[in-house]
Amino acid sequence: MLDPMDCFIDREKVVKTPQELAEHLQGVFGDDLSYVDLRDFSEGSSGEVTSNHLWMTIGKTRLLDFVDELGKFDFPNFHVVSGDDDGDHISLYYHFDLYRAVERGVSLHVTVCVHVPKDDLTVDSLFSRIPGVEYSEREIQEMFGVDHIGLPNKALVFLPDDWNREVFPWRRDETAPGEGLVEDLS
Amino acid sequence: MSETKTYKLPIGPVHVGLKEPITAWLDIEGEHIKDAVIRPGAIHRGVEFMARERNPIQVIYLAERVCGICSFSHAIAFVKAVEDAAQIEVPIRAQYIRSMVLELERIHSHILWSGVACYTIGFDSAFHLGMMLREKVMDVLEALSGNRVNYAVTTVGGVRWDVTPAVERTVMDMIHYYRNEFASFYEAAINDPVVKARLRDVGVLTTEQAIKYCALGPTSRGSGVRADVRWSAPYDAYCDIHVEPVVPQDYTGEVHGDVYDRFLVRVYEVLQSLDILEKIMEGLPEGPITFEPKVNKLLTVLKKAEGVGYGCIEAPRGDDTHAVGLKAQQENVQWWKVRAPTYSNAVSWPLMFKDNELADAPLIINSIDPCISCMERMVLSDTSSGTKSVVTKADLLKLCREKTDKTRRLMGA
Repeated sequence: MLDPMDCFIDREKVVKTPQELAEHLQGVFGDDLSYVDLRDFSEGSSGEVTSNHLWMTIGKTRLLDFVDELGKFDFPNFHVVSGDDDGDHISLYYHFDLYRAVERGVSLHVTVCVHVPKDDLTVDSLFSRIPGVEYSEREIQEMFGVDHIGLPNKALVFLPDDWNREVFPWRRDETAPGEGLVEDLS
Repeated sequence: MSETKTYKLPIGPVHVGLKEPITAWLDIEGEHIKDAVIRPGAIHRGVEFMARERNPIQVIYLAERVCGICSFSHAIAFVKAVEDAAQIEVPIRAQYIRSMVLELERIHSHILWSGVACYTIGFDSAFHLGMMLREKVMDVLEALSGNRVNYAVTTVGGVRWDVTPAVERTVMDMIHYYRNEFASFYEAAINDPVVKARLRDVGVLTTEQAIKYCALGPTSRGSGVRADVRWSAPYDAYCDIHVEPVVPQDYTGEVHGDVYDRFLVRVYEVLQSLDILEKIMEGLPEGPITFEPKVNKLLTVLKKAEGVGYGCIEAPRGDDTHAVGLKAQQENVQWWKVRAPTYSNAVSWPLMFKDNELADAPLIINSIDPCISCMERMVLSDTSSGTKSVVTKADLLKLCREKTDKTRRLMGA
């Protein structure tokens, strides 16, 4: 069976405008998409819009479907996962871009946010679709304690091997590094 | 007939003179690399954690110190993320100056890399030539900002130093100098038959792998992926000045995705940067260089900002991505994420190592232009007997150079 995200170089890319893509995704995911924002950028003296950024929030269980849906248009080039501890949940922002190798000025940044509740700190790994996510998912795992289901290598990336695995540096709750671990930050 | 043994060979994590220590665990059989596992994080400094105690202006100084070579790229990616979150517009003159410094940094980084690559294979005359050429661009950066490494040129909403007529002249002199002198370097380096034989088909990353593993910058372009943020999503002066991605198929008609192709891409990008710089200097618009020159006022604006911002620019090694979260009525940055190009490119290393020779390992590590400049020492461990012996950087370099000599002898050069 063909890998659903198999990226062939010669595969026809389906170029959509940011508005069309946003509408399409809203149609497919309905209520699972809770926040949609489209930012456009025009710099330099010409005033033409040369860069677009689509921001969305998707239900945790639909993340893989979302990425598969993006994959129907172009292979989503993965940048990084960023995020923050927002009290009762961890917000993870997956930054992608589409159409990065099509033509000048058509690339579209897509950021999708997922809220991972603290009582179930798991999210599907994108590794099966985009192997380039490996370090970023491992980093999120060690910094926030979010488990990525399906990620083959869950070893530490940035923290030392003797790190207390119950302390998560980017959390803001009782699992955050305490006084003893934070020394002089200046 | 002796039986085949697989050795686990760590390269790193501590190297001389670098910003991002990384360990490559190689499984080797004789001289052949069978598999590789990468373990970064030897000195994770936690800058993102530190940023939570600082306001956006203070974080610029942290961002500049993420990397010693592409310090400006990180600062720009960070301020772009803040400007995105706070919806601040940057004056056009400041945009041009930012692009100018980015191009100067690219020239600096690529020449440095090309020189070091020549050194690694034992082509010392080209190495010295490269180091000599690099000095010129460092002089220009010094003339502009007074610094050779962390230029402290940018701030949120603009730049801190203007381009004076004297700086303009230094830049034009530099362009003229490189047009005359750089040719001798690239003729010597990329047209040398031994160099070509030594770099061709070493550390191959196919086009498909480069896409799937999200390789960036010269690493992906060397594999034939036509991707460059300056082209696909232009920003600043690149909105007015068109930049085409440099890919090997446009120059040699074929893509190998090897170290040689990565070398080629960087060399042609230096020439491209000279053209871009010339256009920037010609079209440099007049006007203010910052949205708000008074830092206190700027901080008041930033204190009101709320939201998540994103900045992505083309740094010398690939696209540099920063994301930042700001909260209204809070002076400090809520959170910050830095994604340096090596973070992504290092994911492809194991693929490049596979089925290469140990003597090529330094070359392959160098070919993505990581923040690793030298290899200090490594430990050879024999898994069957449990013995360990130390191999120094000098030994590894010797191996790499011996292979070049052997190639040279075989070719009768």
